[in-house]
Amino acid sequence: MSSFRTCDGVARRDFLKVGFLAGAGLSLSGYLRLAEAGEVRQGAADAGIFINLQGGPSHMDTFDLKPDAPAEYRGTFNPIKTNVPGIEISEHLPKLARCADKYAILRGVTHTLGAHQLGTEYVNTGNRPLPSLEYPGYGAVVTKEKAASVDLPPFVAIPNSNQRGGFLGVQYAPLNTAATPRPGVPFSVRGIALGNGLTVAEVEKRQSLLRDLDTTFAGFENNQLLDGLDRFSQQAYSIITSKRARDAFDISQESPAFAKPFGEDAFGMSCLLAARLVESGVKFVTISLGGWDTHQDNFTRLKTNLLPKLDEGLAALFGGLEQKGLLGKTAVFVTGEFGRTPKINSRSAEGGRDHYPRCMFMLMAGGGVRGGQVLGESDETASAPKNEGYSPDDVAASFYHNLGIDHTMEYHSDTGRPITIVRDGTVIRPLFA
Amino acid sequence: MRQGRFPTLFGLGLGALLAAPTAWADESGSGQGSDVIAPADQRYAPSDVSEEPDFQRHVVPLMGRLGCNGRACHGSFQGKGGFRLSLFGYDFEADHKALTEEVGDEGSVRVNRETPEESLIIAKPTNEDIHEGGQRYEKGSWEHHLLRRWIESGAEFSKEEITPLERLEITPSEIQFQKAGQTVQLRAVAVWKDGTKEDVTPLCRFQTNNEQTATVTESGLVTAVDPGDTHVVVFYDNGVTPIPVIRPVSNLAGDQYPKVAAPTPVDELVIEKLRKLGVVPSEIAGDAEFLRRVKLDLTGTLPTPAEVQKFLADASPDKRARKIDELLESPAYAAWWTTKLCDFTGNNDNELRNTGPVRGRPSQDWFDWIYARVAENVPYDELMEGIVLGQSRNPGESYREYCETMSDIYRGEGEFADRESMPFYWARNNIRQTEDKAIAFAYSFMGIRIQCAQCHKHPFDQWTKDDFDQFTGFFSRISPSRGPSPESRDEYDDMLKKLGVKGQRGNQLQRALPDLLKKGETVPFPEIYAMAPRRGGNNRRNRNAPADTAKLLGEPEAINLNEHADARKPLMDWLRREDNPFFAKAFVNRVWANYFNVGIVEPPDDLSLANPPSNAALLDHLARGFIESGFDMKWVHREILGSDAYQRSWVANDTNASDVRNFSHAVPRRLPAEAVYDAVVQATASDSVVEQMQTDLEDRAVAMAGAGPRNNNNGANFALSVFGRSIRESNCDCDRSMEPSLLQTVFLQNDRDVLTMIDRRDGWVTQVARESGGRNPAAADERPANYERQVVALERRLRQLKKASNDDAAGRIETRLAQLKRRFGGDRPEKAASNLGSSGFEPKSVVEQAYLRTVSRYPREDELARSTEYLTSYEDPLDGVRGLLWALINTKEFIVNH
Repeated sequence: MSSFRTCDGVARRDFLKVGFLAGAGLSLSGYLRLAEAGEVRQGAADAGIFINLQGGPSHMDTFDLKPDAPAEYRGTFNPIKTNVPGIEISEHLPKLARCADKYAILRGVTHTLGAHQLGTEYVNTGNRPLPSLEYPGYGAVVTKEKAASVDLPPFVAIPNSNQRGGFLGVQYAPLNTAATPRPGVPFSVRGIALGNGLTVAEVEKRQSLLRDLDTTFAGFENNQLLDGLDRFSQQAYSIITSKRARDAFDISQESPAFAKPFGEDAFGMSCLLAARLVESGVKFVTISLGGWDTHQDNFTRLKTNLLPKLDEGLAALFGGLEQKGLLGKTAVFVTGEFGRTPKINSRSAEGGRDHYPRCMFMLMAGGGVRGGQVLGESDETASAPKNEGYSPDDVAASFYHNLGIDHTMEYHSDTGRPITIVRDGTVIRPLFA
Repeated sequence: MRQGRFPTLFGLGLGALLAAPTAWADESGSGQGSDVIAPADQRYAPSDVSEEPDFQRHVVPLMGRLGCNGRACHGSFQGKGGFRLSLFGYDFEADHKALTEEVGDEGSVRVNRETPEESLIIAKPTNEDIHEGGQRYEKGSWEHHLLRRWIESGAEFSKEEITPLERLEITPSEIQFQKAGQTVQLRAVAVWKDGTKEDVTPLCRFQTNNEQTATVTESGLVTAVDPGDTHVVVFYDNGVTPIPVIRPVSNLAGDQYPKVAAPTPVDELVIEKLRKLGVVPSEIAGDAEFLRRVKLDLTGTLPTPAEVQKFLADASPDKRARKIDELLESPAYAAWWTTKLCDFTGNNDNELRNTGPVRGRPSQDWFDWIYARVAENVPYDELMEGIVLGQSRNPGESYREYCETMSDIYRGEGEFADRESMPFYWARNNIRQTEDKAIAFAYSFMGIRIQCAQCHKHPFDQWTKDDFDQFTGFFSRISPSRGPSPESRDEYDDMLKKLGVKGQRGNQLQRALPDLLKKGETVPFPEIYAMAPRRGGNNRRNRNAPADTAKLLGEPEAINLNEHADARKPLMDWLRREDNPFFAKAFVNRVWANYFNVGIVEPPDDLSLANPPSNAALLDHLARGFIESGFDMKWVHREILGSDAYQRSWVANDTNASDVRNFSHAVPRRLPAEAVYDAVVQATASDSVVEQMQTDLEDRAVAMAGAGPRNNNNGANFALSVFGRSIRESNCDCDRSMEPSLLQTVFLQNDRDVLTMIDRRDGWVTQVARESGGRNPAAADERPANYERQVVALERRLRQLKKASNDDAAGRIETRLAQLKRRFGGDRPEKAASNLGSSGFEPKSVVEQAYLRTVSRYPREDELARSTEYLTSYEDPLDGVRGLLWALINTKEFIVNH
């Protein structure tokens, strides 16, 4: 066996041992380990949902309002009370106000990357991007660490994701649905649904032929590659012919009463699909809601389009997860790549807000997170954290903690460098208190 | 390399000869001489020792041996407990400072010259004082005495005292065990540049490369475990010496070894190693297996059915050699090896933004430039010189002439491949920093990983941080600019003025240029150039200023870069020098890895001292032959492919089943991404398309330039990324993934691309339908005028039924919809018509053709019977043909090269 050594003197065999408990994933080694090791250690949450608010939502108009700030800061929205005494959010998020006990609001989260791409990579990995190394997204790490069902993809992105396999490799990348489901319509995904008019009966007939013909290497299954191909073949067959896998994506099977709160919008439908996937056994789902880059017409765009969508979909997701008994087992993380400038610009009649990483909000829910609390605080104009503030790294560490994954664990890059999952973060303990 | 060995027996009489481990020492070895200073554990054993230890030779190695400067301890970049040492040592100044001065806020001085025994480096590791790392040595031990003496004698060190280590000699130089539990003690002698020799065994670190075969203790005692072969590596100062350790896997080793033919030099060297191990190689593979293997390996292309039939029918004894020659002349050979060279050099469109006025073009030019040279078999050193010394302007060309030529090339008048050099290697955005250029260069052209030495002593090689820093100088004068070089500035401005775009900047200008280009204008091109030598003295206060001197890795003398018009020239001269330890080896080893699943050095891009070749003589032979052939790449391919070693069967015997590093049998491995895609396309294509694919590289995945996601490549991108095409991002051969994955299997079994390929108009199934007397579906079934409306209506109905959970009705609609689409479906190729005339359909020949076009052989009797039974089980035999082709594409035999 080759012994591939790393910069720090750990031989590859050693780090395989380090990662031995890690199961799942789609790679051969991951699969074999899964088969041998079974389920790993339990965290509060068993699955994760990450909601990416692409473009960077304005914190001041959503979850961190400053009604007493000067007019050029505070904007036109008013705060409203929530079902948790003392917590107030934007008047355009009424449904989320009615379930504020389900989630925790983090205010005064702060970083320094004001470009979309860099900020997005930061909040999707929990690490400041490095030019020389691509960090894996949360979903990739979860896929690597948690054993998933054999006939389901472990990581699904609706419709696609900024979370990639990074240095862990493409086998940990998500299965992209490439489209968002529509209300009441069966939803199918590339490779998972039977295509080109094939029926299950026909596939079974072909599989039977395949089993009979695929005998050249019979008796040599001790070869890792050949053994792996056999296993994957069985698993692919399970997924393709599995009613469970098809059903997992088929949101039209949800009862109308359950589906109703999710509305008809693509984001709401994505939330419905996410809940359904997690219920079926998928380990990680990402959802995207874009359009938050409100340099102009900030208030109209928020009020008429973005906030109603977010309000309806997210509140329905919290409610739906709870109804299915999944909220306590599902870690939910909602964030954009940065906040927006507290001071309103003059780019349109009503003004807009620009990129502002120094102060932003994030939401955490599910698993061991205690909902109905606000952690952190921004200053009078929401221009900076009032005290030390939280970094995206801290929130990432907490998200992993919620999922039962030790964020100080080390992986090795392609070239063998040891890399901590989250370089600089510290778990925010009060989230779980 | 080493000659004149004699066996040395350790502590055993002649009677025990057969049972004793055999160990070889170098005849020239100075280990036995009387001029060798005794080891430190002897000299420092008495507590009243008077000798003063040396910081470089004794103190730092001892701390390394004790683990002090490891990553988990004080070698951590944050230090531990306020004390930080350089990781793995060799930064003597920093380490001396850390020991003798107050560093940082919480740091306290580690040595106490007044009261040496109270020094923290004595009190803590002996556990007198609280030490998180626990006890490292005992009071009264030689380690204690050595460190105390150093402090007593003033804890001195000066930079001028650093002596280069000439070599680290280990006895024995090779170990052969017979049974588990046998032991051999290693002895290490440091030979210094000043002539002194010291037994440094107690100051070394020892490591085994495979503890299944041999273990080694901290003091260098090697113990045999399971049969096999590996290396034990010894580290001292910047010396790294690997010692081969072998335990035969059968009783056929040495004199007992059966007679095995070794018709080529490669075979002689492979067998020589196998003989030591008692491993008997597999038989030679059959012709069909050979043909499929060599064509996929050399050209990334499946053999055609006709080719298989012809090759099997050919009775001439030299047909394998002729086939290799024939394949070496094919365009697919040039394409596949260009793809590999693009992997190693990192051709990535994503990193080439703004290196030309049209996105995607530089990546394509990169591919084309290499392709032209591989096709003409330009010597490897010349080819690489064109990249290493790449610059935008040809020698003697003015900036205007350069832009005129490039503008013409972009308009299709002329070929980029005719340019003298290929500069984009240096233009990549991910290697803008000088250090990153050095790392990329070492990876691409030398197959080594020097990045570790960027921050600390390389743990597995001799490179120190200083070696790295001095090496980077060569790369500080290459300047990829988005505009012109300074001397071309006037011409550039003039050009912009004439084009009427002067004053436009950045993106605005980038957007304007493609249109101007199309209109026939000459537009300015970015220029990659080598900075001119600097007059005047050393002035390197600015870290980013170009260096004045640089040092080649492992060479003693620094080079004055100001004496060279292009600072990269001495680097290139060094690469192609006969004694260069990396350039030729890196290439032949990568070629070998392509053919044997693993390199002679594995991983193939990690040529380092602690990662020695599994067969050093073989690697030397190939590298030397490559150089002597004039860097003829085809020589390397012929030398390897013509050997029995390459042509062996994958079926193993009792002795070689677990061999993965000594090339005693073929190793089944998944096809690379490009070959998988092309193989699926070819296996499902009609005979005429199959023939066309052999010479026409249009749409072939092996001939796609770049790995950037922007290149859509006719939808092949999805498949190529699923099967792990190299992402060409991180200076690692592992950017290409050869691992199987679930998504790959799902793709082959159920992706619409594959299912559609089986049914396509110019596919084989359609051809079978036509030839068997069925209607030609492509010509016959005119699409009805209301097709679109029918589909929409049926889909709407289907949704309603599904919503209403009416599964039966929904199923019927689904079938109708599928039939409709199959027959007339839009751009999607159609399935062949179903009223196949039974007249022309011969199951046996169809089954044979299906086998030949997928697994490149005739079916066996049982396979023929089962397949025929399957075909005839369908009312419409074409449905059976589809299913058979699908099944064969999904066999392991198809996706694996074996």
